[in-house]
Amino acid sequence: MLDTISAGSAQNAAQLGWTGVVRFLHLTPRAFLPMRATESINLVAGRGIEGDRYMIGNEEGFYSHKPEEGRQVTLFELETLVALKRDAGIELGAEEHRRNVTVEGVPLNHLVGRKFWLGETLLEATRLSIPCRHIEEITGKAIFDPLINRSGLNCKILQGGIVKVGDTVRNAA
Amino acid sequence: MKVRAITTVKTVVAGIEEAGSGIKLFTLVDPDRWELPPFKPGAHIDLHLPNGLVRTYSLCNEPADNTRYVIAVKREADGRGGSRALHDDVRVGDVIGVSLPRGGLDPGAGIARYVFVAGGIGVTPFLSMARHLERTEQADFTLHLIIREEVPLAAHLGSLIEKGRIVMHRTSLTGRPDLAALVGEDGAGTLVACCGPEGMTDDFERVTAAWPAANVHIERFVAPPPVIDPDAKPFTLSLARTGTEIQVRAGQTMLAALQERGIDIATSCCGGICGACKVGWIEGKPVHRDRILSPYERERYLMVCVSGSDTERLVLDL
Repeated sequence: MLDTISAGSAQNAAQLGWTGVVRFLHLTPRAFLPMRATESINLVAGRGIEGDRYMIGNEEGFYSHKPEEGRQVTLFELETLVALKRDAGIELGAEEHRRNVTVEGVPLNHLVGRKFWLGETLLEATRLSIPCRHIEEITGKAIFDPLINRSGLNCKILQGGIVKVGDTVRNAA
Repeated sequence: MKVRAITTVKTVVAGIEEAGSGIKLFTLVDPDRWELPPFKPGAHIDLHLPNGLVRTYSLCNEPADNTRYVIAVKREADGRGGSRALHDDVRVGDVIGVSLPRGGLDPGAGIARYVFVAGGIGVTPFLSMARHLERTEQADFTLHLIIREEVPLAAHLGSLIEKGRIVMHRTSLTGRPDLAALVGEDGAGTLVACCGPEGMTDDFERVTAAWPAANVHIERFVAPPPVIDPDAKPFTLSLARTGTEIQVRAGQTMLAALQERGIDIATSCCGGICGACKVGWIEGKPVHRDRILSPYERERYLMVCVSGSDTERLVLDL
């Protein structure tokens, strides 16, 4: 049954429709360092974000000893930050979740295996991000449990380009 | 070549300043001058020195000065080797890994007045706090500096001395001051803190015994032993394939004990949900704390990042 449903959903994805927006962009060159907010980032196809710690070929991230092709850019839902505050009373800033792109209106958990447009760049979602103790160590906030199943999305960059705050995010039908 | 995990913040020594009295100030920065992980006033960091030693030093700059970690190190000829290594071997441009900052005070938590008591080089964490409080003007403060004769970091204390923020107590002239008189009566809204040699911090602990714990802060040169869960027990890990026996200390994770012995275990989340560190177990009674293994799987596997042992000996399929 699941096979039929997922095949149907894939065909209907464009019609079911969603359109989101890029709210924040962050990067950092090395493990442990604070994420810095920026108005635009340069996505390089097949490699990563210029200047970020997980740019393939130039990696200095906390998880860089575990190579992963699908970690070139990471996304996080603004709605999760709102839910953390609402449900757990935890104020988490967009610079604290350590994913690169904070989006609003994008159902990230539904996109694994799908392609979508982030501004002018084309991404393919490889897997859900999982929470880690590392992020608790850095933020000093008990967010491991509340972030289970909503910790963002890892993606490969199929088509590179510049992504800016305010850019549209949409399905690639 | 196998890439090693990054476990420390990479810093470069950007400056070394002679500060008198056998003290050197070391300024550590990110190679690209990126902001460093944030810290509270009076926090400290571990330095992973090139000779393998790990030593803890207070930061003496303030949190708003966020692209540098500045530490003051007094050369102790008969110390345990950390200060000698820093003074004698470390040069500008050297790379030093440091830990995330720990400790320090939460400024602004209903505190209107701070009384700091420092012994000698113990002034370093209070330099950070004083700079922060002076800039933010969020609370009144006095720093009592107890010294034999020579003022440590005199050039950096000058402006605070001129403003009357520092009260100097020279034991060579006036003997040891009465700590009880320095801290005064316990009052809500006052926080008292001490950093100095063991005898001084012990005396300070005594005179503030009746104060609410939240209003007393003590920084020791040598870290007190870590607080361990009273229910935690040590146990032995036996590795079936190699015959290796490894002791896991009370409160230590199995993962840390294995890594200490150089055994390479894949990890990722370190919280028991990703499954990267799943290992088979053969004998004993594990305490599982993961969130993903089914009861059936738990009969055969455990996650070394979170599991413990209910038996004195646990045999792993490693």
